[in-house]
Parts: sequence; structure tokens; C-alpha cells
Amino acid sequence: MEYILEVFLDENRLSKIKGTPVEEKIEAVFGGELKVLRVKIGEELKDELLKAFETARIDSRSCITDTPVAFKRALFDAIVEKKSLGEEVVKAVLEKIDEIKEAAAKEAEFLPAPEID
Amino acid sequence: MSELYFKRPMPHGGRLVERVLKDKKAAKKIADACEKAGAVYEIKPTLHYKRGVPVRNVYREIMSVCYGFFSPVEGSMTSEELESVLTKRKLLSGWIFPYPILFDISKEDYQKLGVGAGDRLLIKLKGKPFAILDIEEVYEIDPAELADRTFGTPETNPEVVKERFDDKHPGWVIYRSHQPIILAGKYTIINEPKFKEPFDRFWIPPRKCRELFEQKGWRTAIAHQTRNVPHVGHEMLMKCAAYTGDVEPCHGILVNAIIGVKRRGDYPDEAILEAHEMVNKAGYIKPERHVVSFTLWDMRYGNPLESLLHGIIRQNMGCTHHMFGRDHAAVGEYYDKFATQILWLKGIPSYGFDKPPTEIEGGLQIRPQNMREFWYCPHCKEMAYSESCGHDKEKQKLSGSLIRGLVAEGVQPPAIIMRPEVFKVIVKWWKKFNYPFVNERYVDYKEKELEVEMPDLD
Repeated sequence: MEYILEVFLDENRLSKIKGTPVEEKIEAVFGGELKVLRVKIGEELKDELLKAFETARIDSRSCITDTPVAFKRALFDAIVEKKSLGEEVVKAVLEKIDEIKEAAAKEAEFLPAPEID
Repeated sequence: MSELYFKRPMPHGGRLVERVLKDKKAAKKIADACEKAGAVYEIKPTLHYKRGVPVRNVYREIMSVCYGFFSPVEGSMTSEELESVLTKRKLLSGWIFPYPILFDISKEDYQKLGVGAGDRLLIKLKGKPFAILDIEEVYEIDPAELADRTFGTPETNPEVVKERFDDKHPGWVIYRSHQPIILAGKYTIINEPKFKEPFDRFWIPPRKCRELFEQKGWRTAIAHQTRNVPHVGHEMLMKCAAYTGDVEPCHGILVNAIIGVKRRGDYPDEAILEAHEMVNKAGYIKPERHVVSFTLWDMRYGNPLESLLHGIIRQNMGCTHHMFGRDHAAVGEYYDKFATQILWLKGIPSYGFDKPPTEIEGGLQIRPQNMREFWYCPHCKEMAYSESCGHDKEKQKLSGSLIRGLVAEGVQPPAIIMRPEVFKVIVKWWKKFNYPFVNERYVDYKEKELEVEMPDLD
């Protein structure tokens, strides 16, 4: 079975992949209001991620969700670096798992709230 | 025409259980007698059997029993009743009930207390008298066995159980973390806790809820189970499910949130209640047709079993209908995604239901409204119902997890999937707790504070 990791794109992230082969793979969803990149992985990597992050779960769309923000950030960085949406980007992130877990532990205590009207 | 009208269902078991002593003088006398006899127990949270974090507080079960949410259950189950629930999902009286309800203490506490059958125990909460337990039986359980038998296994329940329950399942962990000594008997609250804000304005116990339906002129009401802040998919589920009814759509929608220990990554209880309230305050479903309430319960995430408990609670509250969606009260992939709907449409023989729970003796009267899914259809340009929309190749599913991912990354969810007013409620509580979701600090805070204050009995 295939599982999906979604990376949401804001203006800053969009600028970092502009002109790369990844840009062509951007998907617009929900009436074009949200832009996303999708990394597809198999059972083995899915199991590794669920083991690595206690909060991670699989939703009804077969998406792996509730991973730490630090992981999502590292995943995006790996996509930019490797210019790919293949499994190798996840493998590259997992090589730095201890570093990510450390950042995730800090995140579990505090996330800044957005200022909205 | 009137013969086509649905009647409000009777409480499960025939009458509402109400075990709350209002006479303060009598309550004080009872509490003093227990103090004198040394039969006093301060409630301790149930801690995860491995990690030591709070996973349950039995005070929530005592509240739900004594205010009638769990009617006809009146207290902590005897060994015979426990066996009946585990094998047949029925109380000894023959009424269906899915879960063990137990007052568990450690062997050390039991030895210190020195109580036995025939004794009365004063139960304290936050250092103040709260309830009494008239002990009928004391027995020992094996928590591991209790946890396995409560939920079943792929071998014993092959119709719906797909994976063996384990440490990743919060409900299994709750039963696995029970203490081994069970004091069985009826509970009576002798000192009513006072709910804090914002819980106080959503506390509508079954008797009051039935009265509220009368005042509002709701002949029919459909219950919506929640443990989440509402996204537009939830809103559509509520709106569309409410089109059922008798000769006209349901007069009202009762949102009933389950409030108790949550998993990390869930939203705080306060945000869940106020976000649902915002659906009516902002007019997405007008307040005349939409009421938000809650039940105290540390959720067991038992999908079909949990749906039975939900049916019982909401029938007791007076609802004529209950909506059930995909993955109802589920976590992980332990159950078939539509296990709840299988139960309510066909029954699950291995759990003791060879027919739906509305068709068996001792069963429920509340009508299930089994709904499939809602998704965003870019072709229809709207939130569409899976069984109606013909563009399933183009579907864009939304889920609470998807929205949590956006929130965590600081991206405001598009209005098409979450109302901006609802997002503002999330942010309000995010600022209060410095975090948008439940984390260990929130779990500790909630365990220390609970949803209530305890008044003095004097």
C-alpha cells in the first residue's frame, strides 16, 4: 500500500522551489485555496515514521499526519535539496532523526500562536 | 399525521438513574460517619501502566453514572455483571451495555482501607467529600485480561477487529492500567461539583436535556458525537444527517462532546466546546436548532463498542436519532472503518449482537443515521456527499488530521474546510495554553485542575 506525506506550501516555500522540477508537481486543492506537495512512500518507511513519532497517525486519505513540525520542515528542506518527491527525501530526513526528535521535543512545549484579526 | 411522529425514546433501562443527594445536612451526616469509620478514599488518577501519565480519572465515570448518562448503570460493576458485560455486552438486568465500569484501587490502598462488602466508602475529590460507594463486593481482576476481553481480538471478533490492541490504543491502555482490586456497588454523589468556565454552560445532564427539548419544542433530535473541533465536513455531516426525522427534518441537533483525558495532538476540551458553539453563534446552523453539551468520559476509542455507549448516552438525553460516520470514535487501524455501521445495520455476533442493537431484547430505541463521507468536489465546487457525488476520482478528502497539520505549521485553513470563526476559537485557546493541541503539559494541567471545583460540604 502507498502512503502520503503532505507538505503545505506558503509563499516562502513556493519561492524556494520555483524553477525546479518539483514546481511542476505542486497540486492545488480545495478550490485552489491550498497548495501542496505529496511524497509517496511504502510500508517500510511508513512503519519507520510511526515508530519514530508517537503522535503520527494515518488518516482516511492514507496520509501520514500529526508528525512534528520539525519533521515537516526537514522534509521540505530535503525536497528542496534533492529536487525530488521520491522516497529518498524521507530517507535523508530519517538520517537526522535524533536532531529532529530534539527539535520536536521543544515544539511539544510551545508553538507560537498566529496573530489573526 | 400524528401516528407518523416519532416519540422521544424512554431512557435506556426504562428510567433515568439519578443518584445525587441534594440535602446538604444529610450529606454531611453521611460524610462524617464515613470519616469516623476511617472509610475514606481520595480519588487518584489512573496512570499509564508503563509511562505513568494520567489516562483516566474515575470521577468522570461517577458523574456520568450518577447524573444518568449511563442509565441504567448505577455504580461499579460486580464480578458477575462484569462477566456478563464482557461476554454478552449486557448488564445482569438484560439491558445492553458495552464497557466495564469499575471502581479500582491498588492492593496497598485496599489493605489500608480495610473495607469490605456491606461497608460504605466516602470518595473524596480534590480533598473534599464527593460521593459514596455502598460496597456490595470486593474482587480482584487481571488488568491485562480485562483490556483484551473488553475490546476483543482479530481471532475472537473477526467481523470488525483487524489488529490486536496494544499500547498505541488509548482505550486498551485505560483498562490495562486499572488497579487490580475492584470495589463494586452503587455510587451516590453527596456533594455536587461546580463546573468551571467554559464547561458550566455546556453541562446538560439527561433530565435537564429532556426538559430543554420540551421547552424548545423539539419532537425529534439527532445526536452528533464529537471529540474534535468542527471542520466544514463535520458541519455538513450534521446538517445532512439532520434531514432525517419523521415527517420533517429533525427539529434539533444535539452536539455531545466527550470530555476527558485526550491523546496528544487532540484539541483542548475548552476549544472543542467553544468551537462547536461558534457553529451556531456564527449562524452556520442557527442556535434554535443546535445545542452543544458534553459527557464526562475518558474515551475508550472502541469504535462499535463506543458507538453503543454513545447511543445509550444520547437516548438517555432524549435524542430520537444518532448520526454515525466513518471511523466512529476510532483510532489507528484496529477496526474496520465502518465497524460502527456494521453493528447498527447488521449486528456483530461475536460481540453478542446477532442483530442490530435496536432489534434485540434489552436494546436501544434511538435510531441510527449511518452516514458515509463528505469530501470537497472540485467539479461540484462544494462539499459533497460520497454517495451522491459522481466525481469520486476528483474527490479531495478532508480530515481533522489534515487541518491539524495546517494549524501546527501556522497556516490558516481555507474557509472552505474550516470556518474562520472556528479557527479563531482554536487560536483563543492556543494563546491560553501556548499550544494549539493537547500536550503533556495540558494533560497534567487538566488532571490537576479537572473540569470542576469542589465546594465545601459545610
